[in-house]
Amino acid sequence: MPGKRGGRGGFRGARGTLALLLGLAVVAAASCGGAGGEGNPGGERGGTLTVFAASSLTDAFGELARDFEKRHEGVEVRASYASSSTLATQIIQGAPADVFASADQQQMQNVADEGLLSGKPRVFARNREVVIAPADNPAGIRGFGDLSRPGIRLVLAAEEVPAAEYAEQILRKASEDPSYGPEFRRAVLDNIVSREEDVRAAVNRVVAGDADATFCYASDVTPDVREKVRIIEIPEELNVVATYPIAVVRGAKDPGLAREWVELVLSGEGQRVLRKWGFMPAAREP
Amino acid sequence: MVGALGLLAGFVAVPILSLVLWTVREDSWHAMASPVALEALALSVKTTSATMVLLVLVGTPAAYLLARKDFPGARALNTLVELPVVLPPSAAGIALLLAFGRSGLLGERLYAFGIELSFTTVAVVMAEVFVAAPFYVRQAATGFLSVDRSIEEAALVDGADRVRAFFSVTVPLAFPALVAGAITAWARALGEFGATIIFAGNFRGITQTIPLAIYSEFQRNIDAAVALSVLVLGFAFTVILAVRHLTRRATEQRG
Repeated sequence: MPGKRGGRGGFRGARGTLALLLGLAVVAAASCGGAGGEGNPGGERGGTLTVFAASSLTDAFGELARDFEKRHEGVEVRASYASSSTLATQIIQGAPADVFASADQQQMQNVADEGLLSGKPRVFARNREVVIAPADNPAGIRGFGDLSRPGIRLVLAAEEVPAAEYAEQILRKASEDPSYGPEFRRAVLDNIVSREEDVRAAVNRVVAGDADATFCYASDVTPDVREKVRIIEIPEELNVVATYPIAVVRGAKDPGLAREWVELVLSGEGQRVLRKWGFMPAAREP
Repeated sequence: MVGALGLLAGFVAVPILSLVLWTVREDSWHAMASPVALEALALSVKTTSATMVLLVLVGTPAAYLLARKDFPGARALNTLVELPVVLPPSAAGIALLLAFGRSGLLGERLYAFGIELSFTTVAVVMAEVFVAAPFYVRQAATGFLSVDRSIEEAALVDGADRVRAFFSVTVPLAFPALVAGAITAWARALGEFGATIIFAGNFRGITQTIPLAIYSEFQRNIDAAVALSVLVLGFAFTVILAVRHLTRRATEQRG
């Protein structure tokens, strides 16, 4: 509780308060200690697996973590979800990650360049961009081509955000495509009314009906918003597919366990869970 | 002037009301009782408590020194303590990581002894202390400055030693400023996100404080994120109200 100075101004009262504060400090410090315990040491193979994964993987990896813990008795999977750039920075600064799953090839490359990966990264999922509009579709957008119509309120994530960069790549592809042309791209860019902090914020604007459309990943259409938006597919020849790499980090506490996690993610089971949460499988069937 | 206050209050109240109404409409009260929410709340309570204890124990004498002594470098020290306020939270997080991470300036040496600070609950407290300290120290120093030195000197003349004079004269007189500073610092610590996620990571139950939980839920379930926001709003409102009530009673008793 804040403002713990005692009400009584007397010296004895202050001394008592001081003692109380010190006691609280000791208790608080003691209970704050530790980075999370090891798993049940009596188990077959106890231990902790630390996974650093992009935020978009929260649901899919959460489910896989429960699976993994069931299969590996005594193992605790603790995951930290954040933006890929944050995770990469942390790993480069020595964060205790065993596995890194990035939403961005560039961030994985940054970590690899520092020599911090054990083995090569492997693509474990792909994500395609889609356009979403509010469910009631006030702007009447029926196809990708409608986006260039004047007056459409389009929002996008901020420029550095990968999803927004892919959106711009898609528009560049469209300008080179004779069925759309450079005027299409220009008209769509003119329709951008605001840039949001991240993709989720942009999605939220559409859900709230503030915006007529945005570009986002298919996986961003999470169960809670599925009923509130309508998806407009981007023509396959224009679409940019994001590939998500995963790798074991050098210096992992238990490299074998880390590799088993990677194998789970790449397995049929892992791919099924990822598909359930809106991702595309890792590889097209040859 | 009443109009101005009303305008300000209204401006703050309307968005907060919108959040609460959204929760009611979307029927997501149950999200407030979810394991994620409760773990985050418990962690926030624990870490902000530890932060406040540290700030009060260390910050109060520090603020007193800054208010009373005019030594060379006092102004520079004052500025130093203010710096975390202007630093964007993410920059603060990177700075803490560069200092105390495994490969950090100090962290590397600590790691050699097996001490790891980053990505632990302790890291959360460190981040909170870093960003919230200026808010307490600044107001505490202002409070001490406003205490008339002649009253302190009178106490000394009457036979009290420095420590006793401090606790029985200076502190009670500066009390309202100390409480206000503590509330501000606590609120800042409670809402800390950027420095925490970068320096401590986003581990449920260990470093996922309420703001981090809200961010994480926002990625997957907007309704749950809003519910959590309303939860922390309610919690903060209750605490601040309680503290103000208790301290008003205390000052009334003394008077």
